[in-house]
Amino acid sequence: MKDPVVAGAGVAASIAAPAERGRVSRLTRWLESEKLLATVLLVPGMAILLIFIAYPFVMALWYSLTSIRVGDPGEFVGIANFAKAWNDTVFQLAFKNTVFYTFWATVFKLALGMWLALLLNRSFRFKRIIRASMLLPFIIPTVLSAFAWRWMFDPTFSVMNWLLYHSGVITDRLPFLSDGDWALWCAVLVNTWRGMPFFAITLLAGLQTISPDLHEAAALDGANAWHRFWHVTWPLLLPVTLVVVVFSVIQTFSDFQLIYVLTGGGPANSTHLIATYAYQVGVASGLLGEGAALSLFMFPVLFGVVWFQLRFMKRMEGH
Amino acid sequence: MVIERKWKKWFVFYIPMAVFIVFTLFPFYWMAVTAVRPDGELYRTWRQASATPFWTLQPTLEHFEGLLRTTAFPHWLWNTMLIAMVSTLISLICGMFAGYALARLKFRGSEFLGTAIFVTYLVPQTLLFIPLADIIRDLHLGNTPWALMLTYPTFLIPFCTWLLMGYFKTIPKELEECARIDGATRFGAMVRIIFPVSIPGILSAGIFAFTLSWNEFIYALIFMSSAELKTVPVGVVSELIRGDIFFWGQLMAGALLGSIPVALVYSFFVEYYVTGLTGSVKG
Amino acid sequence: MKRRKFLKATGAGIAATGLAGVLAAHRAPVFAQANTVHILRWNDFVPAADKVWREVFVPEVQKALGLKLNVETVNANDLPARATAAIQSGSGPDIIMLLNNLPHLYSAAAVDVSNLAGEIGKAGGGIYAPATQLNTVGGKWVSLPWAVVPGLIAYRKSWFEEIGLKEFPKTWAAYHEAGKKLKAMKRPIGQTLGNTFGDAPTFTYPFLWSFGGQEVDAKGKVALDSKETVESVRFLVQFWKDAHDEGGLAWDDSNNNRAFLSGDISASLNGASIYVHALNNADKVKTEKGAPLHTDILHAPLPAGPKGAHAYHTAFNQMVMKYSKNAKGATELLCWAHKKENYEKWFVVQKGFATGPTREWEKHAMWNNDPVMLPFKTAPLGQSRLMGFGGAPDKKAAEAWNKYVITVMYAQAASGKMKPEEAVKWAAGELGKIYT
Repeated sequence: MKDPVVAGAGVAASIAAPAERGRVSRLTRWLESEKLLATVLLVPGMAILLIFIAYPFVMALWYSLTSIRVGDPGEFVGIANFAKAWNDTVFQLAFKNTVFYTFWATVFKLALGMWLALLLNRSFRFKRIIRASMLLPFIIPTVLSAFAWRWMFDPTFSVMNWLLYHSGVITDRLPFLSDGDWALWCAVLVNTWRGMPFFAITLLAGLQTISPDLHEAAALDGANAWHRFWHVTWPLLLPVTLVVVVFSVIQTFSDFQLIYVLTGGGPANSTHLIATYAYQVGVASGLLGEGAALSLFMFPVLFGVVWFQLRFMKRMEGH
Repeated sequence: MVIERKWKKWFVFYIPMAVFIVFTLFPFYWMAVTAVRPDGELYRTWRQASATPFWTLQPTLEHFEGLLRTTAFPHWLWNTMLIAMVSTLISLICGMFAGYALARLKFRGSEFLGTAIFVTYLVPQTLLFIPLADIIRDLHLGNTPWALMLTYPTFLIPFCTWLLMGYFKTIPKELEECARIDGATRFGAMVRIIFPVSIPGILSAGIFAFTLSWNEFIYALIFMSSAELKTVPVGVVSELIRGDIFFWGQLMAGALLGSIPVALVYSFFVEYYVTGLTGSVKG
Repeated sequence: MKRRKFLKATGAGIAATGLAGVLAAHRAPVFAQANTVHILRWNDFVPAADKVWREVFVPEVQKALGLKLNVETVNANDLPARATAAIQSGSGPDIIMLLNNLPHLYSAAAVDVSNLAGEIGKAGGGIYAPATQLNTVGGKWVSLPWAVVPGLIAYRKSWFEEIGLKEFPKTWAAYHEAGKKLKAMKRPIGQTLGNTFGDAPTFTYPFLWSFGGQEVDAKGKVALDSKETVESVRFLVQFWKDAHDEGGLAWDDSNNNRAFLSGDISASLNGASIYVHALNNADKVKTEKGAPLHTDILHAPLPAGPKGAHAYHTAFNQMVMKYSKNAKGATELLCWAHKKENYEKWFVVQKGFATGPTREWEKHAMWNNDPVMLPFKTAPLGQSRLMGFGGAPDKKAAEAWNKYVITVMYAQAASGKMKPEEAVKWAAGELGKIYT
């Protein structure tokens, strides 16, 4: 994919035509300076990030301080939008839901992902194909798989209710998506289903860097499986685990697609996350300023979590 | 390997593994069954008896047929592929360059920049898309694939940069220094020494970026308005939920077909992916 | 030459590709310059009607106006989001379908179509009064009413007869009694209380009104928190538990159709789409006795409460967007589509699911075809109230509607999350934030 360009660069850089040699070599000499080379290398990425993230971010900050609506630029209103959001019971609920959803989904993804990684790290038949198929939930688009789950949870046609009912486990169907608490747990379940493979594969990658000798040695010392995991595997996996958890927390906290498809925030707003509520207010109702303020509430929380985790990682690297 | 007794292996391995497999794959199975079930069988309520609850004796292709005939699904597939590839390519190049600079070059502010790039990853998409819509308008990119090809890298570059940074750090400095002694320029050494040995890392970043772009929903929903320019997730959501009343068969057919290309990419690269990640997590 | 290549390779390549994109984008309007009009509509609940747009209107418009018509249909719940994005990014469909009073929300981005509205009204014997309120802002027409989809209760004739009812109940209390018996036979009433555009608010608003509750008073002050409203919520909680399919809390606008057609529910407030589907697929959709299901379906208006019977019928309007580069073509298109001989082609395949924007369509011969559909004919006339009642159906009413405040009020009480009084207080508070 990238080879022609990159190879072209190499060729161009080293075998310059004699006539232009002077100019090119000046350029290459420039690029010998670490500072200049770094600048050149960083420019393309930074340019994209500046134009398409930093600038819109600043604009969004401005929006959040104005009464902008769709088709109407509005005027400066100070922190009125934030104050309104703060006192908004739906937002309070959405915030609580987001924390709940992120926390439990991450806990389950980590626990199950770790377990799965340990299982996949053994040798068994059809290992390749099973490993590959375990990744499926992670790679297919969330909206599509969320639809499959919505169909399985459908109040009238749910296959799970069918199965439980006809096997005599239940006499009335389970209210998967029609009860607020159930629906939120269902969203946690689907998110876990989707994110677990990423945890598993990344942790598996980490596991493969651990030498089996360590385990053998521990086993010889009489450590049982749990002790071997806790004292040998876990400490060595901790750095990887932290990285995955950071990424997962970011993704889960700002999740939108899954809820949008699965429940649309209902029943009775009980499964709104910050992102879906911000979308409903900002986009569906056209209150762009308020929507921006709602979304902005996510930022400090994410920043705090990640900062804390990065700090922790740094400290570990130090040891 | 530590030796285990047979019965124990059932409890600690076979049974949990089987549960994981069912949990992971059942939704796909159900998707496939739904996609080939005729409507008459599909809409049986949870209370009604059914002779073939988990399969069907009259598989039908009508949903696939309807999907291909009445929607622009092949277009969506092609758009998604194209957009995912271009944005992955852009992000990989930017990520490789930036990752190398941050991992290997000494300059003032490198730590700050590294953190800054990471922080951009935290900005929620729901916050950005309205102002982005303005920018897209000003650049006259509205309703063109470039609107997505240029905005997707915003969440891909931070990821690629960080993953590759970790990978590059694990490559011994000596390798590069040898090449430098042989007269290679810094740039040349990067391109011809560092990048080739980082192929697993680059591949795994690329695969990951490709998946994320394939998965993206909000930007595609907001920035693309012509039916032929939509991506698979948006097309399926906006055009297959219809008043047809009976749309689940086609919806599942669309979900299935829309997943196959990424699944193929993965099945080819899964081993690279693991080794690539192994490289970067070591760092 | 080499230097260029070099620059490109070092990453200016990214900029270059970006540039190429910009250039390509500037070239792209060649396609737009041709006389095209892009219209964004909902996925019609009567699919045959979308077919008329795509397969009949497209070629005819090409012939009559020299316009290339591009019809896009999306899920109705996504329409406002698409409109917001299109207006904000200044690019998108030339005409957008907007439901109910959404034109008020997007009026700043609309082309004035007052002249056209005048013509349509004159030719058609007058536009319905509610449609006028929904589509005009400050005396100006910001969009054109295309159709009204009346919401009536579709019910199973034989099942109601089995519990001894020859006629559909006329009051909520009687309907409650009937529903109780039906639910005991595992044939509950199906009603969505989910966050969805159509069947939820068209049930909850009239329900509120029929108990005497209202969102605001004549001065525009929030008046929701009243003993009438509390009474209505209290009634619904019991009604929900006794007579309804509880899954309805998670339903969207299509769930009740599927549940009804598979024989799971006995009655549901809906447009005529359930019946029309059963009619068009008579050989596939059957009752438990094997007769075609459509022969066992009748329609009735919502029952009356202590303060009378009310209804809300969903309005479908089309707005010509100000950012459009072909507003002229778009207006011409609407003018053409509203012409009697053209509109009729669309109108007849609806079989009564949608009624016309003007009085004239009540006289159409189609209504004589099927007595079951007759209640839909004049349904729009029975509509005396609109969202924001007490006040006008303005921007604020649209905001409350879009945030599902009234529906959520009922859903919260029905699901047991809140006591009726709490739910009403909550909803009144939400309205208070909108009507500041």
